[in-house]
Amino acid sequence: MKIDRRSFLGLGLGAAAGIALSPVGVKLTDDSSIWTQNWPWTPVPEDGEITYDRSVCSLCPGACGISVRKINGRPVKIEGLDDYPINNGGACLHGISGLQYLYDPARIKTPLKKTGNKFEKISWDEAIALVAQTLGKIRESGTPESLGLITGADSGSMAQLFARFMDAFGSPNTYTMPSLESNLALTAAALHGADRRLGFDLDHSDFILSFGAALIEGWGAPVACIQANASRCERKAKLVQVDYRLSNTANTADKIIAVKPGTEADLALGLCAVLLTKAQISTGRLFGDVNKFAFATMVVKEYTPAKVEAITGVKAADIEALAMEFIKAKAPVAVPGKGRGDVGQSLREFAAVQTLNALAGRLNKEGGVFVMGPADYLNFPENVMDEVAEKGAGKDQLAGSVNELVDTLEKNGGLSALFIYNANPCYVLSNPEKVKAAMDKVGFKVSFSSFMDETALRSDVILPASIFLERLEDVVSGAGLAKTVVGLCRPMVKPVFDTKHPGDALILLAQAMGHSIAQSFAWESYDSCLGEVAEKIWENLSGDGYVVIDDRPPAGTPATDFSFLASGPKAAEVMGEGDYTLVPVDKMRLAGGSMASSPFAVKTVSDKVISGKYSVVEINPATAGALKDGDVAVLKTAMGTAKVKIGFNEGIMPGVIGMPRGLGHAFNNPYVAGKGVNVNDLIGPVIEPGSGLDAAFGVKATLSKA
Amino acid sequence: MIENKKAHKFGMVIDLDKCTGCGACMVSCMAENNVPFKEDESNKKDSITWMRVYRLTNGKSFPETQIAYIPRPCQHCGGIGDHGHSPCVSVCPATATDYGYDTGIVSQIYTRCFGCRYCMGACPYHARYFNWWDPKWPEGMENYLSPNVSPRMRGVVEKCSFCYHRYQLAREQAIVEDREIEEMEYQTACTTACPAGAIVFGDLNNPAHKVHQIVKPDPHPDPLNHKVVGKSRNPKVFRLLERLGTNTKVYYMSDREWVRKAGDNYLKGEWENVKTHHGASSSHG
Amino acid sequence: MSEIENNANDGPGDGAHQCTNNGPKDDKGLGLGVVFFMGAFLICFLSGWLLFPKLLYSKKEQPFNFDHNLHAEETGDCETCHFLREDGTFSGIPGLVACMECHTDEPMGETDDEAVFVEEYVAQGKEVPWLIYAKQPDCVFFSHAAHTGADGMDCKTCHGHIGESSSSRPYEENRITGYSRDIWGKNIWGIKKNSWDRMKMDDCAQCHLDKMGHKGYCFQCHK
Repeated sequence: MKIDRRSFLGLGLGAAAGIALSPVGVKLTDDSSIWTQNWPWTPVPEDGEITYDRSVCSLCPGACGISVRKINGRPVKIEGLDDYPINNGGACLHGISGLQYLYDPARIKTPLKKTGNKFEKISWDEAIALVAQTLGKIRESGTPESLGLITGADSGSMAQLFARFMDAFGSPNTYTMPSLESNLALTAAALHGADRRLGFDLDHSDFILSFGAALIEGWGAPVACIQANASRCERKAKLVQVDYRLSNTANTADKIIAVKPGTEADLALGLCAVLLTKAQISTGRLFGDVNKFAFATMVVKEYTPAKVEAITGVKAADIEALAMEFIKAKAPVAVPGKGRGDVGQSLREFAAVQTLNALAGRLNKEGGVFVMGPADYLNFPENVMDEVAEKGAGKDQLAGSVNELVDTLEKNGGLSALFIYNANPCYVLSNPEKVKAAMDKVGFKVSFSSFMDETALRSDVILPASIFLERLEDVVSGAGLAKTVVGLCRPMVKPVFDTKHPGDALILLAQAMGHSIAQSFAWESYDSCLGEVAEKIWENLSGDGYVVIDDRPPAGTPATDFSFLASGPKAAEVMGEGDYTLVPVDKMRLAGGSMASSPFAVKTVSDKVISGKYSVVEINPATAGALKDGDVAVLKTAMGTAKVKIGFNEGIMPGVIGMPRGLGHAFNNPYVAGKGVNVNDLIGPVIEPGSGLDAAFGVKATLSKA
Repeated sequence: MIENKKAHKFGMVIDLDKCTGCGACMVSCMAENNVPFKEDESNKKDSITWMRVYRLTNGKSFPETQIAYIPRPCQHCGGIGDHGHSPCVSVCPATATDYGYDTGIVSQIYTRCFGCRYCMGACPYHARYFNWWDPKWPEGMENYLSPNVSPRMRGVVEKCSFCYHRYQLAREQAIVEDREIEEMEYQTACTTACPAGAIVFGDLNNPAHKVHQIVKPDPHPDPLNHKVVGKSRNPKVFRLLERLGTNTKVYYMSDREWVRKAGDNYLKGEWENVKTHHGASSSHG
Repeated sequence: MSEIENNANDGPGDGAHQCTNNGPKDDKGLGLGVVFFMGAFLICFLSGWLLFPKLLYSKKEQPFNFDHNLHAEETGDCETCHFLREDGTFSGIPGLVACMECHTDEPMGETDDEAVFVEEYVAQGKEVPWLIYAKQPDCVFFSHAAHTGADGMDCKTCHGHIGESSSSRPYEENRITGYSRDIWGKNIWGIKKNSWDRMKMDDCAQCHLDKMGHKGYCFQCHK
């Protein structure tokens, strides 16, 4: 028997014919083509019943109502909540991308303790015991005032719970991060008395004079402001924007008044002077107000149109015309706080703008400014304070503001422990290196952060907080809104990681400390605490999801104290030297405060803002010298040096460099961090006497080709 | 083409004077449609954004500068006479994209697409994006993906679908309630998200819908090219590259002439002719 | 073995020539070739028909047996458990909560399956991980409302007589595509006799063509 190649041919042909006449070929062809359509690694989201749940977003002070779409209870999309009194169904891009924060790579997944330079996972019991023990020692040593707290601006129950803890512990050293809310409160305190808030009734104003306020880029309650601006266009109400660059707000304005950066206050005072001389409103309207004559005399003398023209660059005739247009409008309002109105602001500027409102008789008028009392809906039981607490809490604060605190700590120390809640000072404040150095002077730092941000990274113990989608909380509107709405933020999912409600963490801590502190925090949980302290409105709050406490102009006209401005405060000096003035630029698509942007938000940012690893700076081509669009350049200020890309922009005043705020984060989220420069690194704080605010609106800079 | 008297023609009109460039539409679209993201998205050529907001300026110096933001979803071209000869559909060798004559929506079927990218070359609006990489979500983040839109894979093209799944869901509700869907029941994610209310979406064939009332699409041949391309009879309304005859369903509106003029590449003197042709169809009856 | 080597050593140049020339004369070789051909043909043909389907599909048992017949008799229809939700979406396989509308944490019958249900799922509050025979891939959007509601189609048209079965057949999954065998159909050629024998796109398109006069547009059924 001879097996030759013919046999093999037979074998092959036979096999081929056999397979051809079997279903293998047809089936495999079909199956393999289907296989290429369904890679096993492409996720297949689980289907199920669609439900909608309502809550409140607390990513920013806007406090918008949100509707969370769920599939079988799993949240898949956040949208604006229809008929919510703040945002009426609208939403901003940060809120819509809220679900990304749930699974953010930088989230802190368990309590952590720092050993050497590394964080070590610990249990909640261990973490609470560790903090309670350390704080206990501080109390035993009789210096409870050496516990500090840095917190974001908030007036809900969480803020009060932290304040209660500080009181019960015995420390006056609570510091609030700069925010529009806190700046407005400071302004109200200087002009109208303590414990007041300012609300700007943009919805009903027919002439909005904005001193650089980025009304559609995140000033105040962003969605409410964008909607007010949209309705303004329909109502034919005017917007005049005082600015040095074409912000998106300026772009929608009917008129732009181009001013030199940092001279907005001078312009406002110049307008006041025109009103006092030309509109002759001094006699009737200022009746009963403090130091009105001193102020009137000073302002009429020092801020004549000619002098103001020299300072601001706005023509004297234009100043006079603007003042007259303002006073002749039916419902004018002047809005302070350039950009988002949080960092780099001065009381002088806020007060000057608010004085303009006062002179024009716009206080507590529809379409004007509301001088409102605190949103008084919480009733905490009497705090139990022992002798140590009484003594400590009665002591003087270490500093007048968070900026001054940084100064004091960096120079002399003074705190042995520090709580950080809802704040990221190591990123947000000017000159973060100095803030970090100040932080290093504090022996024991406890962070209640949800994310491993720049400040959490420098903490000793982290009690990770559940984010807003995982917790119950009352959220009060604020930030310049002319109404007071308390919304209920409700848990949309169970905590994704081993985190706790910061209220629960605080209650556990207080109870672990025992004695009077435990008595002050005798609640089972934060949820039961909230139900108890917000009892007055709880039924409506939990039923409707919100309570409108007030949305009408407050009665009467509040008195105005002109003393601060009458004393003739000087404008903050611009630091450093150089041909250019570097100013931070707030962009709607980039979060600039303690909350970092989401991957989605960063994705939407133009390549004229982020280019690879570079921040792109805006510069008017007329003053760019030899630099060309897209060049890499070295930007130098008194505080530091950074490599940036040049982005030509006709919409910025010649000689000014605009740098986007919200970049240059340094933490473990590659979608958000490691991009560009933190503009605060290049700007040094210039602390304003009298207010403690960091009034550095910008800094002198030089620019050269890299 | 099916003859269907009840055929919808979904479209939108975007008020560019109201658009603030805030980006809410872009994010709402990405969250709604399971659009992935990469570590570096600053190269906009490979950054998948079904809805992208472009920025134009009038080129003047501060303070005379003006910006117009132009949100650009897929334009859902119907072609001349709405016969469905959109640039992309015409070139797809895989029938991975087709024209829905019942809705006027241009589809994109990811599992059918084999990635030749002819459609991307054909699209005059850069509305189509190619998945150069497999989508990758940080650990756990797949949890927020919506089952209503299939996540895409490497090697396929994707684009805006006018949130077709929202139409499907609205339709299911209407079916069980035995009625037609209503105007506000089917709205795209970008429309609902816009805090300025700049986007109006609805059925261009339905005179009761706001979008029809604003756009007033011309059922007669366009006097410029003698073809039926649904030109707006509202002098403030224009479309992008309108003279191509793509007959897009995304209309734009602006009071500002320089913005309207920026909608196409006009040679010297051409604009003067075009701008007066809005509403010219009145001569046709 | 040596023969093979010899053969192989015949040289590459004229091998083919030799074969074709000598072939018809060499009866033995031809005979062997035919034997090899037949053998290979038979083996491949039979494997293709019999072994291939067995290899192609993996079999998985349901978590426990489900008696559709019994349930349908009790409830009277399919819609009690497989209903359209108020928003028009289809509920699919009922979850534990739906089962518990009739069942309690006590077994309702004496079958082992009932015991498994109560012990492993009800007691632990766990959803039963049913394997869905009619499961379509992620790219498919199917509106039950449009078919059973508006058009009044019977469940049987696509799902066949599953409602009359008293035991759950094993779930067969295509190892290459991950699809349920019901999509392609039990017949390995994909030949169908009844409307419910297959659930491929062609079947949808054919029905649409017959009833609507058009196969439909991509987005009608794809997402």
